[in-house]
Amino acid sequence: MFIFALRRLFAAIPVFLVATFAIFWGTSEIVDPTDRLATCQTCSQAAYDRIIDLYELDKNVPLRYASWLGDFVTGDMGAATSQGERPVSEIFWERGRNTMLLALPAFFLLMGLGAATGIYSALRQYSKGDYAITSISYLGLAMPTFFFGLLLQVVFAIWVPKYLGVKPFWASGMHLESPLQFIRSVTLPVITLMFVLLAGDSRFIRASVLDIKSADYIRTARAKGVSERKVISKHLFRNAMIPAVTVWSLDAAALFGGSLITETIFSWPGFGRLAIEALQAGDLDLLMSISFAIIVLVIMFNLLADILYGVIDPRIRYD
Amino acid sequence: MIRDNKLARLLALVFAFALIAAACSSDGGDDTSAEAPEETTADGEEEEAPAETTTTEPPAPDEEGSSGGTLIWAHEQEPPDMHLDDPNNGLSITSWLRSPLIEGLYGISGATEYYPELLAEEAVVNQNEDGTVSIDYVLRDGLMWSDGTPLTANDVLYTHNIITEGCAVEDDGSIVDGGAAEGEDSTCVYFTGGYVGIELVTAFTVNSDTEFTVEMASFFAGFKALYSDVYAAHAYGDDADAVNTNLAEWANADGVLPSSGPMIFDSWDRGVALNMVRNDNYHGSNSPDARNDGVAFVDGVQVNFVADTDTQINSLKAGEAHIVMTQPQLAFGERLSSDENFTVNSSAGPVYEHWGLNVLNVHLQDPLVREALAYGMDKNEVMTGLYTPLFGDSLPAEGLGNTMWMSNQGPYVDHQAMYDGRNSEAALANLEAAGYSDSGDGIYEHPERGRLTLRVGTTGGNALRELQQQIIQAQLADSGFEIEIDNVDGGAYFGEVPFSEEALAAAGSGGAEGDPTIWDITQFAWVGGPWPGGGSAAGLTGNGNNPYGHSNPDYDALAPECDATVDDAERAACYNELDLFRTTLEKGDTGLFMIPLTQKPSYYGYLSSVLSGAGVAPDAQGAGPLTNVVDFQFK
Repeated sequence: MFIFALRRLFAAIPVFLVATFAIFWGTSEIVDPTDRLATCQTCSQAAYDRIIDLYELDKNVPLRYASWLGDFVTGDMGAATSQGERPVSEIFWERGRNTMLLALPAFFLLMGLGAATGIYSALRQYSKGDYAITSISYLGLAMPTFFFGLLLQVVFAIWVPKYLGVKPFWASGMHLESPLQFIRSVTLPVITLMFVLLAGDSRFIRASVLDIKSADYIRTARAKGVSERKVISKHLFRNAMIPAVTVWSLDAAALFGGSLITETIFSWPGFGRLAIEALQAGDLDLLMSISFAIIVLVIMFNLLADILYGVIDPRIRYD
Repeated sequence: MIRDNKLARLLALVFAFALIAAACSSDGGDDTSAEAPEETTADGEEEEAPAETTTTEPPAPDEEGSSGGTLIWAHEQEPPDMHLDDPNNGLSITSWLRSPLIEGLYGISGATEYYPELLAEEAVVNQNEDGTVSIDYVLRDGLMWSDGTPLTANDVLYTHNIITEGCAVEDDGSIVDGGAAEGEDSTCVYFTGGYVGIELVTAFTVNSDTEFTVEMASFFAGFKALYSDVYAAHAYGDDADAVNTNLAEWANADGVLPSSGPMIFDSWDRGVALNMVRNDNYHGSNSPDARNDGVAFVDGVQVNFVADTDTQINSLKAGEAHIVMTQPQLAFGERLSSDENFTVNSSAGPVYEHWGLNVLNVHLQDPLVREALAYGMDKNEVMTGLYTPLFGDSLPAEGLGNTMWMSNQGPYVDHQAMYDGRNSEAALANLEAAGYSDSGDGIYEHPERGRLTLRVGTTGGNALRELQQQIIQAQLADSGFEIEIDNVDGGAYFGEVPFSEEALAAAGSGGAEGDPTIWDITQFAWVGGPWPGGGSAAGLTGNGNNPYGHSNPDYDALAPECDATVDDAERAACYNELDLFRTTLEKGDTGLFMIPLTQKPSYYGYLSSVLSGAGVAPDAQGAGPLTNVVDFQFK
């Protein structure tokens, strides 16, 4: 397994290089850091020269990329001009931690609820519960994230306090003053993040379980007199999890890479909001570091999924 | 079973509708807002009543009101640092955050006039026989920094020195870093600040703790803009590099920088909030707009960085914020002004929107065509249809008619009064006189210049601007113009279109270099103020702030003359004359390259159900909602 993981990591290097170059090239085409000075009435040429020096804008894109890559692999992530020229590395970990605070509970809830609702729906196909879960799933699939997030704000931060006299959750902001305040501030964004993904995951797992439910080996197990609980936990659940792992690996990369919309709506200072701020400010070093993180997350979770396939199903070999 | 399934489906459907209904009515959180009044027009059509917009003064501090509490302001933008002159900064939010922290010799009142802020009285200007001037200043008694150190004339001298020492001054007055090579410490405080005029200072003499004299090589009308922030000699840094570092973080090795304003910087949790606390050593506000001349009523201010406009409104409604101030957007006017818990307040600001004409364009190079455009536009209709419902009568109903003086300033004259209302006949007569004729579909064409199609561009995504473009587009269609809207999203518009390298090269060379076809008409805002001379660069030949291609030696000669005019009334008249070059054809065929549309209102929503006193009304200097922070008071 170790050799397999190592081989996959090496194979990821060209993917990483191609992806980062594509992002660097694309970003350089659409972002001009000197734009911020366009209407500055008192900016001298020196102000432009400073930005040109900082980003080496007088060189072509491949040379600039090579320079960025050289700095990056030696640990120099650059300075974030949109953040008072603080080291990107410092901001990177700070905002990464904030995204983790949001993504971790969302991810574990997503896995738990996705599996629970998907399996329940499949095992109780065409029951009231199945219809209810199906309806809510369709609602989740159809509802844009920004709409759902704002809806939660209105219901739980405006209407509930107004009509019930208690305010259970914050409408926006990250509150770390106490564990209770953290829960009050993280709940609505976690629900928002989770709800849209949960709808898809639940449907996917339901379909997977339904497929396996009618498989020959399940019928054989039942015919052998294996208890229903054992059939579900040992045979059905385990095999249904193989496709689910694929979906969760994609979910994990999306969640841990930061959510542009959810973080913006709930004023959560994570990677997603940072990416928008960096893009608006033409902060190339910061943008590239965030892109790097997302690429690494996608590669890492895909690798993890490949390893997990083998753990779940020993027939899968790492040849 | 079938019945059960139907029941489940029905419940799901009802639930879905309930959610959608809840979201759609999110702006009508209470009964009163649901009963917004409607009026019926004379021809029987229903139209929404103008939103109730307060343009009068906000509630005065209530003697019965309480002291204490933290004022929370939700705002979408977060500055990169607190150093306004950092080339990566220069953002309005930075100056808004600094305004309650630090004061200058002069402040700017709600009437967009200078008032002595740290000064006891107006400075006395003495003109010497050799053309030099000496300006005598007297500071107020009892001025103090928040750490208890007296604020004296030496602090002003320190500020002067720290701005200029180690810096080189360019011909246009901008300061450049005279000695720093790449990778080395800066030798002067960052070089983008508005220090125009400081190069004229030849001597600075401190006469006592409260009196000092500044000698200038010649009179400079913008002298009151100098030293608009006075730094503390004992705390802001011993050299330029230290000052740059300290200003960026608003802290030195000993802690936060001391304040001369009513608040002290406290902490900054990046991406979340910036906190200030009350300065109990504050010497009191000298602003004619402030009602409280003591320390602030509130214990502190928290600025929450809330990026989304809808979330800002929800934060207000959820009681998580007390004030919002933003670009005047439709969402705010529509969703907040009808709610009795909020007061939406606006006032005429120093920023004005305009249509700038590229005089190198094949059609617009003809003054008759430019005048036809002015005739064909009806600013009144734009105001009535778009601005007045949101901002009340804080802006002139006929739109703006001057680019040097704003409508709320004394010397303001509407130079475009002759173009008021839509005069399609005059517009078409102009076009015909210029050789144009109807191409058959109402759009005119010229035998050599072709069809009269012009592109107008701005920063896309701003609903108010885009609606304004559409209204004017429809108006001009009646006057033979085909206007195509050609926006670029966000701030990239400036660097890619009117201020692009190619466009500026064309504007500076009369079209000999660069590319004069990049744009035809641009819409954006310039910032005015009590000293309008700073904006005259927009018409100077070859100036980087003149993308229009305007060139007139008389204008170039008059602009510095205005700035050198000592007499206030004469100088005001001079700026008005300068404006005639820009907004009319009175001064020759090169004129009328700017069509001012309206001042941008400063626009606030605040929770009047919680605040008994608010300092948000007069903000003509664009200093933000904290400009009179001493007046905010909770009920």
